[in-house]
Amino acid sequence: MLYYLSLPFLSILLVVVQTTIADIIFSGRLVIEISLIAVVYAGFRLDLIRGSIFAFILGFVFDCIAGSVIGLFTFIYVVIFLCSFFASFRMATEKMYFIALFSFICAFLEEILVILFYNLTFKFDILVNIPFIFLPQALMVGLTAPVFFYLMHRLEVFLHGKPLKLAERTGNVRISAEV
Amino acid sequence: MFFLRNYKTVIFVAVLLIIALVMLSYSVKYDTGGGFFRKIVLEATAPVQKVLSISVKSVSDAWLRYIFLVGLEEENKNLNKKINEIKAELVLYQEGYLEAQRLSKLLALRDDYNYRFISARVIGSEQAALSKTILINKGTAHGLKIGMPVMATPGLIGRLIDVSWHVSKVLLLIDENNNIGAILQRTRTQGIVSGAGSRGCILKYIYKNQDVKEGDSVISSGMGGIFPKGLLIGKVSYVLKQDAGLFLKINVAPFVDFTKLEEVLVLASEEPGSK
Repeated sequence: MLYYLSLPFLSILLVVVQTTIADIIFSGRLVIEISLIAVVYAGFRLDLIRGSIFAFILGFVFDCIAGSVIGLFTFIYVVIFLCSFFASFRMATEKMYFIALFSFICAFLEEILVILFYNLTFKFDILVNIPFIFLPQALMVGLTAPVFFYLMHRLEVFLHGKPLKLAERTGNVRISAEV
Repeated sequence: MFFLRNYKTVIFVAVLLIIALVMLSYSVKYDTGGGFFRKIVLEATAPVQKVLSISVKSVSDAWLRYIFLVGLEEENKNLNKKINEIKAELVLYQEGYLEAQRLSKLLALRDDYNYRFISARVIGSEQAALSKTILINKGTAHGLKIGMPVMATPGLIGRLIDVSWHVSKVLLLIDENNNIGAILQRTRTQGIVSGAGSRGCILKYIYKNQDVKEGDSVISSGMGGIFPKGLLIGKVSYVLKQDAGLFLKINVAPFVDFTKLEEVLVLASEEPGSK
C-alpha cells in the first residue's frame, strides 16, 4: 500500500528532477528521460500490476508537468512498460549493453509514437527534429540507462542486502498472463 | 468468472491502457487538461520544484561565483603582470630621465672647462679595504692614457692608473694611495689631498697658523702636472688644531658621491686654442 501511496510523490520528484537536470545541462534543449529509464527498469524488475500502475502514474505525472496532451505519455509509458516486461522474459536483462540498447530502442519508440501522434492528430510535421532532438535524446537515454540501473542495483543491495531477482525472469519460461 | 480470475492482470493492464487512451482522446477532443488530478499534480509539483530550484540556484550561484573568482584570480594575475611590465617600463624611462640629467650636468661640466673630455660609463667598482678604484668602459682605443684625470659632476674623482684597449681603471680620490696637489679656494693655501678611504680625504701640510674653516672649498692646485688647476675636489668637513705637530688635521669631504658614479668624463687634454 505504501508503494502505491508513495508512487505519485516519487513520480513528481523524478519528473521535476529530470527537467531540472535537463535545464542545467542542456538549457532545456534536450531532456534526459530518467522517467523512461525508470519505466524500463520497472518492466525488467516489477510484476505486471505494480509496474503498469507505476508506468501509468509516472506517465500521467509527466503529462501533467511536462506534456501538453494529457494521456499521451501515460499511454506510451504503459506500452513501453509492457514491451520491457515481456522482453525481460526472453532477453538477458542483466547485461549492460542490452540495457543501453533496449533503453535506446524504447526512447526511439516513444519518440516515433509522439511524432506519429502529432502528425496524425494535429498534422504537425516534426520529422525534421529526429536527427537534432529525438536521436540525441534517445542516445542520451541509452547511455544513461546503465548508470541508472547500476545505481538502482546498489540501492537494492543497500535496502535489501541483495539485488531483487524474480524467479520468473530466467529467460526460459513461457510468458504467462498470471504474473 | 473463471476467465476474469485467470486473466485479471491482463484485464487490469488493458483497462489502464484504455483509460490512458480515453484521457488522450478526451484531451485532444476537448482540449482540456487532466482536470482535478492535473491540478493536484501541479500543486504538488510547485513546492518540489521550488525547493529544487532554490538548491540548484544556490549550487549554481556558488559555482558561478567560484568560476568568477577563478576568472578574477586570472584577471588579477594578468593585471599584476601588466603592472610589473609597466613598472619595468617606468623604471627604464626614469633611468633615461636620470641619465639625461646626469649627462646634461656632465655637459655643463665640459663647458666649464676648456678641455677635451672623453665620456665613459662606469662598468665596475673595486671598493676593497685598501683600494678604491672603478672600471670604465673606455681605453687606449678611445685615446685614454695612464694618469689622465677623471671627473664627474661636479669635480674631480681620480685618475687613470691602468688602461687597456677598451677598459680603464680609475684610482679614486679616496684611495689611500692617491695624493693630489690642492689649494684652499678661499685662502689660496696649498697642501696635499690624500685619500682616507671611507672617511673621504685628508688635506695635509697646512700649517697651524693658517686660516682654515669648515666648508672651505678645496680645488686642485695644478702642481705635479697630472691634474689641471682649478678642479673641484671637496670641501673642508673638519679642522683640528693639534697641540703636537706643525700642521692642522683637516678632513675633506669630496663633492662626488663615489657610490653613485655611473658616467664619468676623462680629461684627455687641453683643447687647442684654449689658454
